[in-house]
Amino acid sequence: MKWVTWEDVAVDRMACAWLIRRFIDPAAEFLFVPAGQSSLPADAEPFDIPGVRLSHQRGHCTYHTMLRAFELTDPTLQRIARMVDEADVVQEVALEPVAPGLDLICRGLRQISPDDHVALERGALIYDALYAQLNHPSSAL
Amino acid sequence: MQLWLVLVYKIPREPAAGRVYVWRKLKRLGALLLHDAVWLLPDTPWTREQFQWLAVEIRELAGEALVWESRMVLPGQDEALVQQFVADVDQAYQAILAALQQADADLAALARQYQQAQAHDYFQSSLGQQVRAALLAARGGDEL
Repeated sequence: MKWVTWEDVAVDRMACAWLIRRFIDPAAEFLFVPAGQSSLPADAEPFDIPGVRLSHQRGHCTYHTMLRAFELTDPTLQRIARMVDEADVVQEVALEPVAPGLDLICRGLRQISPDDHVALERGALIYDALYAQLNHPSSAL
Repeated sequence: MQLWLVLVYKIPREPAAGRVYVWRKLKRLGALLLHDAVWLLPDTPWTREQFQWLAVEIRELAGEALVWESRMVLPGQDEALVQQFVADVDQAYQAILAALQQADADLAALARQYQQAQAHDYFQSSLGQQVRAALLAARGGDEL
């Protein structure tokens, strides 16, 4: 299935793409349109674009919306949602010290990647690592 | 030339929760309220996206929101606005410096306050560097 989002991916879009590939649609194909563009390809599911179904909702990031939409209840995925929330959306309560670092790393990853496809692949490594470490017995959830 | 983002919105008086939510979000973004009418932020990819999301949220709360990028026309206006942003964040920095003077200063709490202030420090106030140095010195004072 095809998925479309705005180009210049960062923390939330990388997290969403990782979630889609690993937990929703392993054969996902990602398309990008310029930020601000509202006309979208008809054959692709849009995400993290203001106004679409899979985007920010009730003060939460799109990754968080996707967990709800696809009924993913894995506590590690939920924990990552909190991190992405704090990295991407201004929050009053900050509980995840990793959040500002995650935001910087993802922005930097995009800068050193030749295009958004490569940035998503590299971003997936970050989230694989995060997921593995949070799932590790030494990690208190 | 400084580019600015301007947000103007209208939201139903009731329920109050929606209005409060939007107001608090704008304060947390460190946006400047001008003449009780328009909200201003310097234009960066990050602030642009934050305003876009907020505009969507305002519409979901049955409100209306307009966001546009703008340039000041008259000389000196940019400087005056930058000064207002710096003055806002300097107030937070001054409070931290004052608290650091106390004998029983809670360094962990002050460090968090510093991080929050820094998130609004769009124009790199020099006071921010001072606060950072003071926090590091307070922490290392008895060890070095």
